[in-house]
Amino acid sequence: MSLVSRAITWSRIKSPWILHFNTGACNACDIEILAALTPRFDLERFGILLRSTPRHADVLVCSGPVTRQARDRLVRIYEQLPEPKFVVSVGTCSCSGGVFNGCYNMMGGVNEVIPVSAFVPGCPARPEAIIDGVVKLLGSLQATK
Amino acid sequence: MAKEEEISESLGRQFPALGGKIRIQRARRMWVEVERADFETVLEYLRKSQGFVILCTMTGLDKGENLGVIYHLAREDGIMLNVEVYVPKADPVIKTVTGVFPGADHYEREIVDLLGFKVEGLAPGFRYPLTDDWPAGQYPLRKDWKLDPSFKTGKIEET
Repeated sequence: MSLVSRAITWSRIKSPWILHFNTGACNACDIEILAALTPRFDLERFGILLRSTPRHADVLVCSGPVTRQARDRLVRIYEQLPEPKFVVSVGTCSCSGGVFNGCYNMMGGVNEVIPVSAFVPGCPARPEAIIDGVVKLLGSLQATK
Repeated sequence: MAKEEEISESLGRQFPALGGKIRIQRARRMWVEVERADFETVLEYLRKSQGFVILCTMTGLDKGENLGVIYHLAREDGIMLNVEVYVPKADPVIKTVTGVFPGADHYEREIVDLLGFKVEGLAPGFRYPLTDDWPAGQYPLRKDWKLDPSFKTGKIEET
């Protein structure tokens, strides 16, 4: 691998900016994601910044089982993320639908709608588990690139 | 139990058909089953003369051959009267009670969408709570409704 591409990979791994999206969750996982960003658990030491627009983000952090209404919006946001992009699904509901699996209005997990790179289970997922999931995602980028 | 007996008696006097059908479950909880034809007048009487000004909520039921709806009415002093109405599934038409309880609008839209009732006199508006692209004729909260796999729309492939 050339020096330039190694430098690009290094900079992508060292500063993954995230966008957080709630696809119909009860908000517990959202609270834990935001708690993980605070100085107590400190996701920001990995170079992670919470962005407010998908155009600036590398990683889409999703919570919640995807409702029929949220499905189109989630797809649009996913398409607005510039390549290379990754998706982390936080919480049992976004991994598989959780307690809402099989309900009449749910797609059943974020990976039924968009491809997911890392699954973080839990109800709600602990901030330590979210950090673990993000670190594993960054580690896998290191390995492949 | 004095007040409950009083309410039961005056309701029985006003609507002789309901005479023996009013059940007092315990203190402050009463049940009565009403025919579809006159339940609107019963609710109006209860609101105007007996002081049941609060409509707590409405419960929709699927009893196999019949569909039911329970109106949970309450008074300021804590007495709740639950009015049950049953209609056959083949002809689930009821009249709206928004003239008596304007807040019943949302509850009636819910039973229209989720159980398949037809409520006459409901003001036209958006469907609630199902999404706009929900196929017509599918009532998710009926006991015999199954989730069709085609309801899950397609997935974005990995590039």
